[in-house]
Amino acid sequence: MKRISGLIFFLFLFLNNNIVLAEKNMEINIADLWISEAPPTVSVLVAYVTLINNSEKPVSLVSVSCPLFSSIEIHRSIIKNGIASMQRHAALEIPSKSTIKLSPGDYHLMLFNPKMPLKIGDMPVFIFGFSDGTQIRVKANIRKRNNRAH
Amino acid sequence: MLTKLSNSKFLIPIMAVLVISAAGLGFYISLKQSQNRLEQNTATQDLFWPNPKQINDFSSKDYDNKDFGLKQMSGKWSFVFFGYTNCPDICPITMSVMADVYQKIVDEFENIQIMFITVDPERDTANKLSSYVSYFHKDFIGIHSELENENNLIKQIGIAYFYNKEDEKYLVDHSASIFIIDPKMRLIAKLSPPHQSETIIDKFKNIKRFIDEKN
Repeated sequence: MKRISGLIFFLFLFLNNNIVLAEKNMEINIADLWISEAPPTVSVLVAYVTLINNSEKPVSLVSVSCPLFSSIEIHRSIIKNGIASMQRHAALEIPSKSTIKLSPGDYHLMLFNPKMPLKIGDMPVFIFGFSDGTQIRVKANIRKRNNRAH
Repeated sequence: MLTKLSNSKFLIPIMAVLVISAAGLGFYISLKQSQNRLEQNTATQDLFWPNPKQINDFSSKDYDNKDFGLKQMSGKWSFVFFGYTNCPDICPITMSVMADVYQKIVDEFENIQIMFITVDPERDTANKLSSYVSYFHKDFIGIHSELENENNLIKQIGIAYFYNKEDEKYLVDHSASIFIIDPKMRLIAKLSPPHQSETIIDKFKNIKRFIDEKN
């Protein structure tokens, strides 16, 4: 089963590489996409990223996908009156000429049902879709959290 | 007059009274100071003193499916917090902070334990809980209890949690505080988020000193 999903994953990468990619998009940039390393049994992983809008108009992140996960959602963690909760956002607006950083304890990407455990060194490819139709492919890094005791 | 007094048979009792009162005053001042120290350091925390809640016996399972109750907690300082393994952002932050705290104080205070109690026992099976909790530190204890059980720690500590059940990806809102239970099974303090390891260590040391002086 693991081998089959691995095969599908690589097949997907291969096919995707043959799609003609947009010229490097200068209007919207994506930087520092990383997935927090987690125990192999968890059903939901988390990713953080920096979204940069260099254009004169606001643009929204409307979709994120990766063949390794059944679905990906934009969430925000909120602690109010000592209660932690998460809010789902269908889209995330990046105002003109600004940068939004998704980071621990705030906005983040929820990655549901990983098809295989991820380890440091893996670099799954994500596709970010924006409200102006732009699609950007980005490789993610797997990283340990900063404050984790070793 | 002075010579007369020094020869008096009352000298020894008078001296004794003076020494005892001085010692008493000294003790009172040091107690007051430690209380002030504690109050200064507890701006963001609730100290359940002078009437801490006594935790009653309860029956839960740890992540190895072994019984876990009062017996496993008494005689130890327990840091207790709540979450679920499908919470990938806030819960791992707290877990990482607590791993750092534990690492830094475990040698100094041997009788401490870190307990993660799942508020989502339906999805957090023993196996899932075990791999999740031990990922952060091998000594951490994962606790699994029947939510309906009146005596479980979730109910005894009285934390809030809510399910947002729309589909199988449901989220659980829950208390993000860390609770401290002392070796006599008294709920002593609640540390409110955001959590930082250095602050937690400072607060714990103050609380422990305060309780040790009271005992």
